[in-house]
Amino acid sequence: MRGTLSDRAGAALLMAPLLLFLILAYAWPFLGVVKWSFTLPTPGLGQYHALLTDELVQSVFIRTLRIAAIVTLVSVTAAYAITVVWVRGSPVQRVLAEFCILVPFWISVLTRAFGWVALLSNRGLINTWLQSIGFISEPLTLVRNEFGVIVGMSHFLIPFAVFPLASAMRSLDERVLLAARGLGSSRMRTFWTVFVPMTRSGIIGSAMITFVFSLGFFVTPAILGGGRSVMIAELIYLRIFQSPDWGLGAAISFVLVVFVGALMALLFRYVKPKQLV
Amino acid sequence: MPTYRPGPVSLLLAVLVALFLLMPLLAVIPVSLTPSRMLTMPTGELSLRHYRSLIEDPRWLESILLSIRIGIVSSILSTVLALTFSLGVWMFQPRFTAALVGFVLLPMVVPPVVSAVTLYFLLTSVSGLTSFFGYDTWLGVAMAHSVMTVPFATVLILVSLSQLDRRIDLAARGLGAGVWERATRVIMPNIKFGIVTAALLSFVLSWEEIGVTLFITSVNAITLPRLMWMGLRDNIDPAIAALSVILIVITVLVLAVRSVITRQKASP
Amino acid sequence: MSDTKKQTIESLAERTKRGEISRRQFAQLAGLVLAGTPLLLRSSGAYAETKGLVLVNWGGDAITAYDAAYGQAFTKDTGIPVKMDGSGPTEGAIAAQFKSGAPTWDLVDVDPFSAITLGGQGMLEAIDYKIVDKSKMRPGFGWEYAASTYFFSYVIAYDSQKFGSNAPTGMADFFDVKKFPGKRSLYKWGVSSWEAALLADGVAPASLYPLDLKRAHDKIAAFKENVVSYWGGGAESQSVLLNGEASMAIVWSTRASLIEQDSGGQIKFIWDQGLISPGALAVLKNNPGGKDAAMKFIASTQDPQKELVMFEKLGQGPANPATDALIPADKKRINPVDPANMAKQIPLDMEWYAKNYGAALDEYTKIISA
Repeated sequence: MRGTLSDRAGAALLMAPLLLFLILAYAWPFLGVVKWSFTLPTPGLGQYHALLTDELVQSVFIRTLRIAAIVTLVSVTAAYAITVVWVRGSPVQRVLAEFCILVPFWISVLTRAFGWVALLSNRGLINTWLQSIGFISEPLTLVRNEFGVIVGMSHFLIPFAVFPLASAMRSLDERVLLAARGLGSSRMRTFWTVFVPMTRSGIIGSAMITFVFSLGFFVTPAILGGGRSVMIAELIYLRIFQSPDWGLGAAISFVLVVFVGALMALLFRYVKPKQLV
Repeated sequence: MPTYRPGPVSLLLAVLVALFLLMPLLAVIPVSLTPSRMLTMPTGELSLRHYRSLIEDPRWLESILLSIRIGIVSSILSTVLALTFSLGVWMFQPRFTAALVGFVLLPMVVPPVVSAVTLYFLLTSVSGLTSFFGYDTWLGVAMAHSVMTVPFATVLILVSLSQLDRRIDLAARGLGAGVWERATRVIMPNIKFGIVTAALLSFVLSWEEIGVTLFITSVNAITLPRLMWMGLRDNIDPAIAALSVILIVITVLVLAVRSVITRQKASP
Repeated sequence: MSDTKKQTIESLAERTKRGEISRRQFAQLAGLVLAGTPLLLRSSGAYAETKGLVLVNWGGDAITAYDAAYGQAFTKDTGIPVKMDGSGPTEGAIAAQFKSGAPTWDLVDVDPFSAITLGGQGMLEAIDYKIVDKSKMRPGFGWEYAASTYFFSYVIAYDSQKFGSNAPTGMADFFDVKKFPGKRSLYKWGVSSWEAALLADGVAPASLYPLDLKRAHDKIAAFKENVVSYWGGGAESQSVLLNGEASMAIVWSTRASLIEQDSGGQIKFIWDQGLISPGALAVLKNNPGGKDAAMKFIASTQDPQKELVMFEKLGQGPANPATDALIPADKKRINPVDPANMAKQIPLDMEWYAKNYGAALDEYTKIISA
């Protein structure tokens, strides 16, 4: 079936516009950025050597991975819970769930981050409330640290995690579920052994989006992290836009991109592309 | 008709998530009513001064219209490019699919800061050629937004294609349908939801894009998030909280109208 | 590209501007002219929008204030429109503008030490002191690539409710959480934090420079757990104090007086051991609006009446000493260059920063992020 001339021509014709667009508008200038890592300030691999010995880069890289993993877990789980209701709930439940998913989506990441500051800061709503019911005497430190960053990032990413899940859940065959229930399988069991496996591609897509997205997070950690360079993206910003050390900034970016590329290759190996796409 | 509905445990979890999602937005409402010039919780009296300043300052409306225009153009571009590409992948399953998809996802995985630098240098070199398509122009921003949103559109359309039963297409092919017919009459109607979602997501991502926009605009193409950034970063202007409340209200209204319409359709 | 081609395109651009040919036609014609030339035509005025100046500052109130004080008057006098961009001219952003080959910025509000560094790399125009009047500046504050246009200071602001009748008197108190309990906030980009740490550690103001970075960083590292946040912009420093997250912070004096106002006087600030620094305007090399227009703009900011507006709107200490006399007596208290306040403060050493800032900031970032 595969490889006839018309097929190849058809595939090429359909796929070419996007590939051309991205090559011209993105890949080509991106290679220019990568070039800096080998040429600035002096030609050679000096920047990569510096990278291997730079404690700051390494510690931030590890922290970025850890935060991204936690945020992915939190976001996908939370997104799954609300998507089930959005797709499978009663009409009223659907409208409410949709409302909760789409409304935060329309609000700028900046406002949302400041919303969290208003909630979590020392004089914020949560601390005020906990103090007024006498649960705590001193305000809890909820923002300007890693906890705040994770909360803010998860909040930002849940709607992104919802869409692939919704696509998967919407188009699965309902008869299988009803059959399982009809055969006496419990609600829980049907969910874990039938429903979840059937939405696997959605889970993978959702986790992929959240994980790679959190690796490059910038605005939220900058606001909720208390000014420490928590995440790798901010370190790149620092190198490129603050102190012009483009060589190192480009080297960190390139390593990060290669890392994510490898991650995706691994994913594609573990999950056959056909299952994913 | 029996359907598979979420049980009590699912509902409880969903309610918790919903609360989590809405909390910081609800916190914005009292802030928008503060009489202070800073973004703080009001302590006594409430004031509508920040809503007034939204109307009195024409920059807000201008930037809203600009953001809508950029959002629509970039969303159409992204969706069309993502759709044709995904159809190519799904229908022909060419070799190196993984590599090609990986390449398309690049703008999504590359930290926005790096994309910003990349697009900045692209657009400034283009602005040497023309004045209407380059750094600090609305078309330039729309193009940059398309670069940033097209991976998301592609992922969504690919995911919804993966749910599609291949036999439908094989049958159409067996009956002698050409590539164009298969795509438009067989496949696309079945992934309508995915396509609409992709377009919607592209629009919203463009609407709130700030990481890249910040670096490719200066004084002419001031999108809404760019204007908000200007108000927030140095001032924490409560007009932004007021604007957010208005956006929340609009979103609620749109969703409400939509659900009424769908219900009417469902029960003729 | 040959000169003839360039001239042809430029004349086409002229005609387009006058409306003789449409933009679309222009694009087509330009395409034809360029057909044999694979080179990208750099902007060098080939087809620029209305000639004007773009001034890039740090945003917020500064956008409207610069426009009200300087921009509108300059447009009225010269007919040249001035647009304000508040995106923040960091060193990297200026370098990016320059290296793109087609800068769109004209004037930038920079730290003088950045101007020394960037100017040394050929990214800035030298200030033309035939147009800009050096006698209208405080002595020593006109550099080769930047002209001082205002002064500000890094000062201690504190929550008076937390300390009762006790008030801090210098950097030693800032680092003393026993005497002054509560969290602190420091500047994310290092400037002032090093000086504060050294002063607190007992270094005499006169022997501060060259900074003993090792000693400063040790002090900061040991103090880290008391720091709730490192603010990166004026707004953050304001909210961290107003929200009660920090009981004391080192903030810009321009913001300190605003915080005092917004908190109804609960949050106060002191000039003691404040670190005073000039702010300056610099001009990008090959700026689109033309070097002369940019220099004339800088000269126009030396008018005492205009600087008075900036003092009233933003609390900027005037660069022109002639402005001092115009400041009303009750406002002298918040003027960083007022003699009474000046005596309590220590000036930042721009030369030291020009040489050492990059490396010092690297080390600082490492310590606060670890």
